[in-house]
Amino acid sequence: AQQALPSQPLGPQQPQQPCVPPAAAAALGGRGRQRGPPSVPQGQDERRPKGLQISEELQQLSLGDRGGRRKDFHDLGVNTRQAIEHVQESKTGSSGVTVKLTTNYFRLTSRPQWSLYQYHVGYNPEMEARRLRSALLFQHEELIGQAHAFDGSLLFLPRRLRNKVTEVFSRTRNGEDVKITITLTNELPPNSPTCLQFYNIIFRRLLKMLNLQQIGRNYYNPDDPIIIPNHRLMIWPGFVSSILRYEEGIMLCTDVSHKVLRNETVLDFMYSLYHQVGEQRFKDACAKELIGVIVLTKYNNRTYRVDDIDWDANPRCTFRKADGSEISYVDYYKMQYNQEITDLRQPVLISQARKKSGSIVPGPVALIPELCFLTGLTEKMRNDFKVMRDLAVHTRLPPVQRQREIGRLVDYIREDDGVQKELSNWGLSFDSDLLSFTGRVVQGEKILQSGRTFDYNPQFADWSRETRGAPLTCAKPLDKWLLIYPRHNYDAANTLLQSLSKVTPSMGIRMNDPTLIEVEDRTEAYLRALQQCVTPDTNIVFCVLSSARKDKYDAIKKYLCTDCPIPSQCVLARTLSKPQTAAAIATKIALQMNCKMGGELWNVEIPLKQVMIVGIDCYHDTLSGKQSIAGFVASMNQTMTRWFSRCVVQGRGQELVDGLKGCLQTALRDWFKWNKCLPSRIVVYRDGVGDGQLSTLVDYEVPQFLDCMKSVGRDYNPRLSVIVVKKRVNTRFFAQSGGALTNPPPGTVVDVAVTRPEWYDFFIVSQTVRDGCVAPTHYNVIYDTSKLKPDHMQRLTYKLCHMYYNWPGVIRVPAPCQYAHKLAFLVGQSIHREPNQLLSDRLYYL
Amino acid sequence: MDENFQEEQFTGIINFTPPLYKQRYQFVKDLVGKYKPKKVADLGCADCTLLWMLKFCSCIEVLAGLDICGSVIKKKMRRLSPLPADYLQPTERSLTITLHHGSVAQKDPCMLGFDLVTCIELIEHLEESELEKFPEVVFGFMAPSIVVISTPNSEFNPLLPGVTLFRHPDHKFEWNRVQFQSWALETARRYDYSVEFTGVGCPPRGMENVGFCTQIGVFVRKYPQNSESAQSEKPTEAVYKTVFKAVYPSLKDEKYLQNAVVSEVIFTAQIIKRSLLDHLMSEPEEYNDDPAERKSKFQPSVNSFSENLGKLVVEKSVEPFVNGNVVYIPLRTIFSFPKVNQLCGTFEKLCKFVAGRVTLSSDGSAVMFSAEHENEENWLTDFSYKVQLK
Repeated sequence: AQQALPSQPLGPQQPQQPCVPPAAAAALGGRGRQRGPPSVPQGQDERRPKGLQISEELQQLSLGDRGGRRKDFHDLGVNTRQAIEHVQESKTGSSGVTVKLTTNYFRLTSRPQWSLYQYHVGYNPEMEARRLRSALLFQHEELIGQAHAFDGSLLFLPRRLRNKVTEVFSRTRNGEDVKITITLTNELPPNSPTCLQFYNIIFRRLLKMLNLQQIGRNYYNPDDPIIIPNHRLMIWPGFVSSILRYEEGIMLCTDVSHKVLRNETVLDFMYSLYHQVGEQRFKDACAKELIGVIVLTKYNNRTYRVDDIDWDANPRCTFRKADGSEISYVDYYKMQYNQEITDLRQPVLISQARKKSGSIVPGPVALIPELCFLTGLTEKMRNDFKVMRDLAVHTRLPPVQRQREIGRLVDYIREDDGVQKELSNWGLSFDSDLLSFTGRVVQGEKILQSGRTFDYNPQFADWSRETRGAPLTCAKPLDKWLLIYPRHNYDAANTLLQSLSKVTPSMGIRMNDPTLIEVEDRTEAYLRALQQCVTPDTNIVFCVLSSARKDKYDAIKKYLCTDCPIPSQCVLARTLSKPQTAAAIATKIALQMNCKMGGELWNVEIPLKQVMIVGIDCYHDTLSGKQSIAGFVASMNQTMTRWFSRCVVQGRGQELVDGLKGCLQTALRDWFKWNKCLPSRIVVYRDGVGDGQLSTLVDYEVPQFLDCMKSVGRDYNPRLSVIVVKKRVNTRFFAQSGGALTNPPPGTVVDVAVTRPEWYDFFIVSQTVRDGCVAPTHYNVIYDTSKLKPDHMQRLTYKLCHMYYNWPGVIRVPAPCQYAHKLAFLVGQSIHREPNQLLSDRLYYL
Repeated sequence: MDENFQEEQFTGIINFTPPLYKQRYQFVKDLVGKYKPKKVADLGCADCTLLWMLKFCSCIEVLAGLDICGSVIKKKMRRLSPLPADYLQPTERSLTITLHHGSVAQKDPCMLGFDLVTCIELIEHLEESELEKFPEVVFGFMAPSIVVISTPNSEFNPLLPGVTLFRHPDHKFEWNRVQFQSWALETARRYDYSVEFTGVGCPPRGMENVGFCTQIGVFVRKYPQNSESAQSEKPTEAVYKTVFKAVYPSLKDEKYLQNAVVSEVIFTAQIIKRSLLDHLMSEPEEYNDDPAERKSKFQPSVNSFSENLGKLVVEKSVEPFVNGNVVYIPLRTIFSFPKVNQLCGTFEKLCKFVAGRVTLSSDGSAVMFSAEHENEENWLTDFSYKVQLK
């Protein structure tokens, strides 16, 4: 009867096994009235009433106030500037030339003395049901007013009731009289974190009123989607917004956001995967591709993260509804949503509701693949040049267009009567113009290479042309090296050799002929060649790969980073085979190989002495969901051209910070070895800090760094600066040049207007982009005993953005962050354990 | 209008499973399943729960709600908006949902032409003057094929603890069965409807004589409406205020249909291309020119994504082929795939939809792709696009 899929790839063996543990089923039914099956996320699902939703957010809000359980996405409670003495007066720099900028912020012009009043609402006799409490209270709407938010016990109003304690009476439908006591418990000034979160809640209410669809944290307009059929993608334009207190008052920051949706269900995806990988590898492949992916259910507007796939379950499995009756998934979805499940042999996806949101109590939730759409990009797509290129056409908006799209939201708000009314109920209004202010463009850096100084056009932030073929600061010879290639790629290997011998002499790289090793195009053949031919004095191993097979690449890297620590260079044959680009590519490869062997390319002038720069970034293995990897690099010399590196691999639940402490200790030991002294300053650039994690950093990580330095020596007391680096910010800057909006030039520094008063923070635009809008990087100095002037801190940071050897230009983040990222990525993707320490003094991970 | 949680408060004696409000809604849903109305209006739609349930019924193309209280409609109305999935996979049926703020005692042309009008727990909220006008508005003016009216049965009230006078403070009256049935019969007689009585919420054992907790009258119009004469006297002045309108994406709309066709064509063509190239590359030694052989190899891989593909017939003349660096996939082949076929209907339509949206061969008969493997992961090497793009 269930011959839906002839090949039966998904067929579970036991048809009637309940797939969600009963405990979960019971737990999920927790809401007062039966809303359908507990284990299946439906009932709550019809979108919750707006009022209620607000209340739930409010509830979280109040929880956050009490115990800090709510994730504070904007790190509102963290006030680090107050502990940094030398920026109490001012945190702004002064060097550079001024530039007029506008930004995607709108001032919130709230009513004068606008405060939020928090009331406690009590009932006598006590009423249990929240909805009843709510209904009874709002029988007095004339007292409370149109603008209110109520979670069952806490009531927020934008105005003060006449009395501190107000008593009113309501009558239930049973004719019972209930006394309601409304007591003022708190007055929240406009700048209080609670009040700010409240503004955000109201604003989300507005976006919903504008008929925008909420997906995740942002809002999207589904009416005019962009379709990319080649990749079965659909893009919805939308907005990301937040209201926070900035240097110049409370503002709304809003940016264009694009939601990538996929035109295929999880079941569609499983079918095509089955035919790609075959039956044997099917389940593994599903787990690999699907676990961690966010899906969107067909029948409601919820997203879930896939945490597991239950192959023993299928749509005919039953679960217990809250009313105690058993029903199968297939019947349930038919009855409740008129959704037909055609393939009765598909497995069931399991999602763990992590935090209480609304009526969903934490616990497993079962989802049917056929009823779930995939969202977002897979890692595979993200790394697919063609997908990204096709997407970029639509999502990379140039400044003028971006500003227009942002302005659209303001127009929507202004033109919608309902929204205007809601705003006026709360007494809120927004500026209609983008915020303008003055920024600074700091001086470009000169590139020093092997005693020569190179000038380049700072507008382009790129010196590849100027330094092409010039001698390197430190060139490492290719005395003894291996070139491994599959037989049919002999031509590519040959082309490479010829090109390398042409380009290396001018750089100062001495090159002998390599040992040529022709192998069969199989992973084992490569490994055997490595085992047989690599010796301790091998400089580097060059592998030509015929195709981008990840397993082959991983195996080579793993072997040469752990068991047999020798630098390696893997390149696709296709990359080498185009004659017209052969010389350019060989040049770049030679530079990369030189770095991997411990060579140095260029440097910039760094006036600070005895400073060790540290870079940290994290990689989270979303696929297996188990490992996190922290990459750690530290500069070893004055010119910041040599970097020590280590890596922390840890299982779920372990704290990163212990591993980092060990890294810093070894880095200091190595520094001592090289410099015969310890650094007098340490500057840590910490990347990979998620929204809401700032307090953890301040409370745990920084003290550990300080501890570590104490442990090095009794009298050792270096000056420490810890700077949190954030690439993913919604802030955009536009420069005005001749009436038109353009990207601000590289070197633009912003430390006014849109920074946060409670932080010592600044933005730098260091890179250029070919198309779209340049994204500034946000730097937040959370700890600083360096006494460096803000100007110097900013300049040091900008200088370090020039030092990434994989790119002859300025990049988005300081080089140590990018090195740490590369290292963590390599380990997380391919190696999965800490690389051999013998490599730690080289950039082998480039 | 009912707040739906009345039963919950009556702990102990009476406890309906499923809850009574759900039973009422299920009753309407069953009725919709039976009569398959295309246009349904819910009078007194309150927080739109019934409308939300009905939007999943695939026969319905027009849904309307009316309530005297604008704020109660607005509270939850957004759940009637299309979902992301409705945009991702537009369905064949069209669906428009409209919500109006107004009184059932007033006539508005937007309520004309419905097949089913539901009045669930509505009439007991009406003032006497409104109740007087109600039959003329619903039966005389709207004149749908079917009207469903439910109202509390006051004979049941003694079984509900805590109920002194009425079940809800806003009720203006609660009728016993005789009162309701005589009103209903009189109304049906006057407007040429037949009426049958039933209900939901069975009384407990031994108390059967009190009847259902909720009494329901189902009115069916006796004669097909003589639309011409009836419509002519109807006023055209709108008195209701529209507070919400949602038009669901549908394949009946050319814009969505074309998008769906183009997506499906490209996706199908890519699958054909992939299996063709895989076949050419992986088993060159087995390759021969026997079309039957090729077909049988080709099919299983295409089978992958649709169980219906067994029906696929690949005519010899329309087989995909590789020429140099270009793969040609004839539109005829693509058209033979059930999903594409179903969407377009005719081959001419397919050609029309893809024109200008897909790269075609010079004679327009085949989709062209580069024969290069698409999804090569360039990033898996040290030296890659990623490096070049920072």
